[in-house]
Amino acid sequence: MKKIRLAVFLALAAAAFFPSIACSQTDPGVRSGPINGQSGATATSPLPLASVAANSPTGSLEFFQNGLARFQEVEVVSGGANNGLGPRFNFNQCSGCHSQPSIGGSSPAANPEFSVIANGIASGSTNTTPSFLTSTGPTREARFPFFFNSNGNPNTNAPNGGVEDIFVVSGLSGAGNCSLPQPSFAIAQSTNNIIFRIPTPVFGAGLIENIDDSTLIAVQAAAAGNSLGISGTFNHNGNDGTISRFGWKAQNKSLLLFSGEAYNVEMGITNEIFGQDRPLPGEDQQGSGLPANCLNLSKTGYPEDATNFTVATNADPAAQNAQVPSDIVLFAEFMRLLAPPTPSTTTPGGAASITRGQSLFSAIGCATCHTATLSSTQPSNITSSLGSAPVGAFSDIEIHHMGTGLADNVSQGGAGGDQFRTAPLWGLGQRIFFLHDGRTTNLLTAIADHSSNGSEATEVEENFASLSSSQKQDLLNFLRSL
Amino acid sequence: MQGKITRSALWRFLAVLAIHGTLLGAAQGAPQSGGDYSTNPDAKKLPTETILVKGAWSSASDAVTPLPEGGRVSRNVYNNAYFGLAYPLSPDWTEKYSGPPPSDSGYYVLAQIRPADTFTGETRGSILIAAQDLFFTLAPAGSAFELINYTRDHLNADYKVERPPTPVTVAGRSFVRLDYFSPVAELHWHVLATQIRCHMVQFVFTSRDTKLIENLIQDMSAISLPPEAGAIAGTGGGDAPLCIKDYARDENIIERNDPVFTERRFNSVPVRIIIDKEGKVKHIHFLSAFPDQAKAITDALAEWRFRPYLRNGQAVEVETGIIFGHPPRLAAPPPSPAVSE
Repeated sequence: MKKIRLAVFLALAAAAFFPSIACSQTDPGVRSGPINGQSGATATSPLPLASVAANSPTGSLEFFQNGLARFQEVEVVSGGANNGLGPRFNFNQCSGCHSQPSIGGSSPAANPEFSVIANGIASGSTNTTPSFLTSTGPTREARFPFFFNSNGNPNTNAPNGGVEDIFVVSGLSGAGNCSLPQPSFAIAQSTNNIIFRIPTPVFGAGLIENIDDSTLIAVQAAAAGNSLGISGTFNHNGNDGTISRFGWKAQNKSLLLFSGEAYNVEMGITNEIFGQDRPLPGEDQQGSGLPANCLNLSKTGYPEDATNFTVATNADPAAQNAQVPSDIVLFAEFMRLLAPPTPSTTTPGGAASITRGQSLFSAIGCATCHTATLSSTQPSNITSSLGSAPVGAFSDIEIHHMGTGLADNVSQGGAGGDQFRTAPLWGLGQRIFFLHDGRTTNLLTAIADHSSNGSEATEVEENFASLSSSQKQDLLNFLRSL
Repeated sequence: MQGKITRSALWRFLAVLAIHGTLLGAAQGAPQSGGDYSTNPDAKKLPTETILVKGAWSSASDAVTPLPEGGRVSRNVYNNAYFGLAYPLSPDWTEKYSGPPPSDSGYYVLAQIRPADTFTGETRGSILIAAQDLFFTLAPAGSAFELINYTRDHLNADYKVERPPTPVTVAGRSFVRLDYFSPVAELHWHVLATQIRCHMVQFVFTSRDTKLIENLIQDMSAISLPPEAGAIAGTGGGDAPLCIKDYARDENIIERNDPVFTERRFNSVPVRIIIDKEGKVKHIHFLSAFPDQAKAITDALAEWRFRPYLRNGQAVEVETGIIFGHPPRLAAPPPSPAVSE
């Protein structure tokens, strides 16, 4: 009894002396409940768009399912069912990294890259796991903002910014005598010459792909009179000059390009867009390229991923047709036909809190960049759900200066070292890691990190800071409802 | 002797062999420094929290001519030589974070003022000092007054207008004032804007406490502004050049030489130039340009000759804007002339 009285006394004393702690807002954490907010969705079976689920047009559902299957294929160097991995790579399966809360998402709780050596995906005799990969940390790709010079110092007159693949296939049975070292990750870390990117979720990506430029330009113009210190711009495709929209800096124009780049850069698999084995940025800069004995290790010829002119006969014509395209085409089709997440109206915090949170999100200025809904997509020649549809991505697809706190000193297309695409927030409620490098799992930290020297979001972050604890909690509940 | 020569030759041979072996080992082992590799355990660290790789950024042809983004808070006064503006801050208010660079649509965050650590008030607030170049705005607005009306017209349903755009006088100069309120956030925005050198210059006060805001606005009586400042005027003159929209049109250009860009880019490159009394380009301000673009434009503008602008029969300096590169697609028709001759 005495113990209980003491506990009550201590609790009351804590509440009296530390009211801010007792009442402070907290990130509700990863939302429980249905995956992607969708009944019927599972971690390995995300839902397609409604029209695709209805198999309209005929065959679209088969293409989606085939794409989903290929998204999960495990790649090997040679001699297996799916060949072409390497000579360098970050992982051997799209769905390994794009898996939270389901396939197509972002970084999972258990980092598969951490177990690459233990699982025999890379040889421990030729690879070490860099310290920036941890068992419960985000899956990452690494980039060196600058090349090292001959003295081993980062050279700020020589911008790099390309992906430095983490693992090499050397030492694996299919790699023959290809002997490659890993980049100098430890020294890159000790000299601050390394940045990270985590996977972008691809839910609803087909809707983003099908937004007309004029819709985006109208949203930009409508925000031109804001009183918040915000003025973004667009990244553009270097071929046709139209607005590009995928990737952390909106550097990629289309899902097909996105797929082809990732297949080559993240997994080392040449394809019909990127037809040569990719050397590291430094090997390219210095002209050495890859050693001849590290080329086309699959021994298939180039590209390693290609259209399948001959496929197995299938009584279902759609199933037969879906075997024909190359992997990157089916990856793109899977992403294009993947449904956007469905927000919860009640979890966490209840409907009233979420509704208030959404209003606050807009009122303090978050929605100036994280535009709740882009009005309508173009008519679609693919499937009806992609056409003339609102896009509730919570993004203006613009690139904005995010200041010194988030700058990664990587330039991509027209985006400079501190410019990032407004990250779409749909699905945020079930994501684990936030910001481009996955530096935090706490939404409050992610919000605070929007503010620094040179950031367009400083005023809005200040508005957030001025809210009461209960208002902040409403806003956090809203974000975790997405 | 012969034996000595033989031993010497042997040592030389062994030395060459050792060096050769070392090089061979290096070629087959860890790579030397360069590119993706460093073997230097004492390699220099890069600074953190620093933007080293800038994309399209602001720059100018000289370091002397004042620029809109050149204002600073010093001794508790925000001074901006370009706008002829001196704004004494209230005690216990300061600048914590600098703003982003000018945008490619001519928007400037000049200063973001916050309560200092010494502030003892109960409620927080912020003061945003911003500017919009009326030559490059994406909004169909030709004056500060029109731009504030545009702001009012584009407020979303979360806000309630408390005071529609209204002419007011601050420190003897005309401003337009817009007050609005978010009931859900319990935040008030009071916006005061005037026009200087064909820019809307605005002061945005944000707080839950309207009394705090009103006190801050009262403190604006100590602000120093150029005589030209006005809600619908503000076209330069006095110590500043006259600003004239689209002065760089064909009938005013005697000689021109288009820039030769070496890289194909798709960004808009807004440029403000000052034309001297002889019609030569005296100063170039790139609001947003990649270095290669700025160089090409600088080289080209050196060849340009304008018809001198005459006022009362006297040639005067003129400031105007030109968009190089890829002009932005406008959602609405181009704005009415910000300032006409």
